[in-house]
Amino acid sequence: MKAMYLVNYFTAGCIASSLLGWIASLHPMAFKAITFLIATVAVVWVLCWLLDFSISQLLKVSVSDLQAVLVSGLAMMLIGMGVFVCT
Amino acid sequence: MHLKMFVLSSAALVLWLTPLTALDKKIGWHKAMQGVSLCAAIACAVKSGNIAYKLSKQGEIEAIKERAITADVIDEISTSAYISQQQRQHEAELILSPVECLERSLSLDCEEPEHAERFTEDKLAARSENPDSERLERILQLQARGYGKAKIILDVWGVSKGGSPKYKAAEAEYKRLVGE
Repeated sequence: MKAMYLVNYFTAGCIASSLLGWIASLHPMAFKAITFLIATVAVVWVLCWLLDFSISQLLKVSVSDLQAVLVSGLAMMLIGMGVFVCT
Repeated sequence: MHLKMFVLSSAALVLWLTPLTALDKKIGWHKAMQGVSLCAAIACAVKSGNIAYKLSKQGEIEAIKERAITADVIDEISTSAYISQQQRQHEAELILSPVECLERSLSLDCEEPEHAERFTEDKLAARSENPDSERLERILQLQARGYGKAKIILDVWGVSKGGSPKYKAAEAEYKRLVGE
């Protein structure tokens, strides 16, 4: 059942990425805003990946858990955007 | 609960993929429908995830309860086994105690060490005092086996048959003992 709820949250993340793509397709300004948002998230993601030991101590989680969250976040973003662009 | 979770998961996937593939992004109301369906899909996925999370926690609690019940049962069984073993031991002690008393009293009466030693010493003294009776006993044993006089004298006195004075003395003693 734990895998089931992880899969569901992962699916929700993918759909949210697709929704971001849909919002970006509404207007050029929305596209710029979403691009800025994605760039910010990317910077934060890279910083978290580089400072994983410090961030894990700050958030009181293990390093492997933090890395799993980061990798799954990247996968959600890529899958959601990929689905939106390809369709 | 499980059915609801699976239905919501399926609905989330359908609401995510179907409008994106089936509807045209250039048509206004199609695009609006895509946005609505994506929002609905997110809601369904989150709701399904929450249900799965609750079920997972319930499963963990059930597992903990089951482990606690198993531990209680094991503890109860081991306690009862320990008590029954103690009872059996006590009963065995009660049964054995009169037998032990009897054995002790019998050993005191019959196998007193001082008495036994005295009895053995008396026996040895009687034997040393009366070697004739020992010899007679041996002679009777050999006769019972069917030995003749010469063989008996050879066996008891160690003298072979002949005209030697030793043999004659042994023969005379043999006759005296046998009473010929």
